[in-house]
Amino acid sequence: MISRWLFRIPSWKNKLSTRLIVFYCMLTVIPISLLGAVSYMQYTRSIVEQIGEYMPRFLSLANDNIAFHMQEFSELPSLLFNSDRVLSILRHDAYQSRSTLNQEQFVVNSYLARTYLDSGSPDIIGVFLFSKNRLFYSSRLDFTGLDDSNALMPYGQDLELGGEAKILLPDEFPLAFVNSPPYLLIMKQIQDVDNRKSLGTMLIAVQLTFIDNILRHFDHNDQADLWLMDGAGKIIYHTDEQYIGTVDTELARYPLRNGSFRRGGGKDEWIISLSTSGVTDWILAHSIPLKILTEKTDRARNVIILLFFCIVLITSLLAVSYAIKFTRPITKLSRLMRQVEAGRFYVNLEIESRDEVGILARSFNSMMKTIRELIQKNFEIKLRQKEAELYALQSQINPHFMYNTLETINMAVEDGKSRTVVEMVTLLGRMLRFSLSNRSRCVRIRDEVQHMRDFLMIQKIRFSNRLMFDITLKGDIESCYTPKFILQPIVENAVKYGLNTRKILHINVSIGKELGARSGKEDIVFRIRDDGPGIPEEKLEQLEQSLRSDVPVARDSEFGLSNVNARIMLMLGPEYGLELHSVYGQGTEVVIRIPMITELEMAELTEKLGGDAHGEIQGINRG
Amino acid sequence: MRRTRPWGLIFMLFITACSGGTGSGDYHIIYSYETETVTEELPEDQRKYTIGVVPKVKEIMYFLIAQDGAYEAGADLGVNVIYDGPPIADVSRQIKVILELIDQGVDALAVSANDPEKLLPVLQEAKRKGIKVLTWDADTLPEGRDLFVNMVDPEVLGRHLLDTLAWHMGEQGDYAILTSTLSASNQNEWIKWMSIQQQDYYPKMNLVTIAETYDDPQKAYEAAKQLLQDHPGLQGIIGIASVAPPAAAQAVKEAGQSGTIKVVGLSTPNLMADFLLDGSAQMATLWSPKKLGYLTVALAVQLLDGQMPYDGQEIRNIGNIRVKGDMVIMGEPLDFTAENVSQYDF
Repeated sequence: MISRWLFRIPSWKNKLSTRLIVFYCMLTVIPISLLGAVSYMQYTRSIVEQIGEYMPRFLSLANDNIAFHMQEFSELPSLLFNSDRVLSILRHDAYQSRSTLNQEQFVVNSYLARTYLDSGSPDIIGVFLFSKNRLFYSSRLDFTGLDDSNALMPYGQDLELGGEAKILLPDEFPLAFVNSPPYLLIMKQIQDVDNRKSLGTMLIAVQLTFIDNILRHFDHNDQADLWLMDGAGKIIYHTDEQYIGTVDTELARYPLRNGSFRRGGGKDEWIISLSTSGVTDWILAHSIPLKILTEKTDRARNVIILLFFCIVLITSLLAVSYAIKFTRPITKLSRLMRQVEAGRFYVNLEIESRDEVGILARSFNSMMKTIRELIQKNFEIKLRQKEAELYALQSQINPHFMYNTLETINMAVEDGKSRTVVEMVTLLGRMLRFSLSNRSRCVRIRDEVQHMRDFLMIQKIRFSNRLMFDITLKGDIESCYTPKFILQPIVENAVKYGLNTRKILHINVSIGKELGARSGKEDIVFRIRDDGPGIPEEKLEQLEQSLRSDVPVARDSEFGLSNVNARIMLMLGPEYGLELHSVYGQGTEVVIRIPMITELEMAELTEKLGGDAHGEIQGINRG
Repeated sequence: MRRTRPWGLIFMLFITACSGGTGSGDYHIIYSYETETVTEELPEDQRKYTIGVVPKVKEIMYFLIAQDGAYEAGADLGVNVIYDGPPIADVSRQIKVILELIDQGVDALAVSANDPEKLLPVLQEAKRKGIKVLTWDADTLPEGRDLFVNMVDPEVLGRHLLDTLAWHMGEQGDYAILTSTLSASNQNEWIKWMSIQQQDYYPKMNLVTIAETYDDPQKAYEAAKQLLQDHPGLQGIIGIASVAPPAAAQAVKEAGQSGTIKVVGLSTPNLMADFLLDGSAQMATLWSPKKLGYLTVALAVQLLDGQMPYDGQEIRNIGNIRVKGDMVIMGEPLDFTAENVSQYDF
């Protein structure tokens, strides 16, 4: 359950490929987008800053130029002092005869025409001079709204200008020209500096074309506006004529008077530059929508965004394909792992790459191979053990032996040797009980020896003293344990072969403790010696071979030996087992070596050999 | 959930970046070269300048007119003007007036000097007290003042005066000069240029004498009469003190020699109008004393503000001035004749 839960298929968020794709996208998409955005912002800002810095300077130059022109215009009234005649007329009182008045008007008007209109600036469209309720004038255009009756309304005769020129806009004064060209009025008091008196007031109407000429040099854009206003925001000149005379209501909110600023935000953002003349106090303003300035940049930005998406698309595709390619072997590995988990060990991860994934695959393959081998080994050992034990069980009471013993008992009954019969039946009964009641794989040495002794006793009775045997037990080893049924097959073998050839067979069994060379401990050694025919050298070699090899041997006569050997080795380890010593014609010695197994060790061994051993020990104890 | 946060952040970053980081306010200054408009605001408690203007004599027409100009300038420029002078053209009386003005704590003194040397100690004392000193109308030696406000270029005036007389006399005959005092520096300068002009162009003319008038109409009249008496062959008189030409004209008229003895010189149109119209004087030459008074005060204020006048500078309500060294020249002389004398009211 737990492993199922742990190794379930990861959700898409946790998938390695997803993470790789995300990571790769972050590595490409974010830097590119940041780079693009930052550079666009910087470029836009630098354009804005450049315009913001240079426009006020241009404006300042233009404004100075305008101020210079205005200065020149306001100097013009002093030209009157060039004419003594005009001066004397202006100094006169107006109360004279009509003809004198007209005569003087003619003189002054023609002087005005000569001085201001015929020569001098072509921008002057009219000159008007009010003096002592007289109006002198000269004009290029017909005009209305001025005559000597309303002279200087609403300004009155004695306005105090302090020698300064005053600029009037058309709507501040009742003067109107035909065709209504945009114009300015420059009003200046004519001061008689000698008499310290005011001689009158002069008005010069100036066309705004001179401002046009100055501002024409600006790189003009249809959407940009240029306008000139006085300190109070009244627009004197505007590239869009309809605004002339109106008031720039926003002026009060402009954060500065010299410099540039942005107004509004988003798509309706304007850059406004102002310059204030120190001379005239006039403000020359220029405004242009930001989007016009950044038009080219915006186009570049759109291209970059397009490119950006292309690159993102390409890199994303690359990232996805690479991530998939990278994670495919891992996915395959995890699929195989699930198969292994399900018990299918014959899998092979076919990955040829030489990178880490390849190493992983090769390790996996080699691990699987080792696992398979281990399984096979353990499985087969277990199988052989079981087989050997099965055979041992089968051969404990050989039917031949049973038949022969019963036959012997039968003969004894016929002979009336009742004591022998009783003895034999007792022996046989004990042997049968040992075999049947005791299911454990280990028994005490005492019991094992008793069983061998019973067997030998029965044989001795059967072969009426042709068989001689003696058993010696050295040391305190009776209550140690030994694998069950290891002695009987050996002596059975000795009896079988020895009595065939000898009249009297001696079998000597000695059991004792010896220091084992291979185990390095005190081992228990069983030596079964007989003076039988021995084993021919060839045969001996063959037998020793079969003892050493793992290959199961056929169930022939030698099988008894190899079965004992195999069981000891499988149960107790390869350093223990069975040895054969034989001299042909003189006898054979079989040496069985097992470790010393005390009751305590027996418990450990039982645990090692598996749960079923426990019950057997119980059985042993009872036995 | 953990994973969505960085994506959200990135998305926001991207959006912010694309929108160009527009702020919310209405106006953002990009660039300013506001030249810290040094609004030279006068300190609230700054007292008004007080300027003492001292004429040679207080009560003659010329200086009364100049007084008008000085007061006009004081009103225009927002300064106090104290116009005070001696009752007669006398140096010691003038020094007394100047000392009184110093005691009153004037910031600047403009003096029309009766004597170029004798005024030096008092003017230098004024200077020591931190008072700006300038002279107008009549100069002292340069040590006495920072600036001299002159009406006209002395060379132009001297030559022009002799020209007018020569033109009326037919370039020949004896003539006399009526000056203020023989020590008056302006008059001496003009006399110098008149004699140079005569030597240059009019060898047949002859200067017989130079008489003093002490800027007093009565003394001038007496001097003129004496002149006619002493020099019966006299054909022309040049008066170079404002009281002189009217006195000369009066004397000529009374002698019944109107038109025979030509009278020209420096005087105001009002004083000369009658004589010009009845022919006892031929021409008067002058500048506007009003203008001079005005200019003097204007320049004194400018000096107190720490600015020296420069050539071609335009003084409001005056026009352009010329500057030669430490001398300011107001303009060109005006000629008054029977035809135009009525145009002027001083």
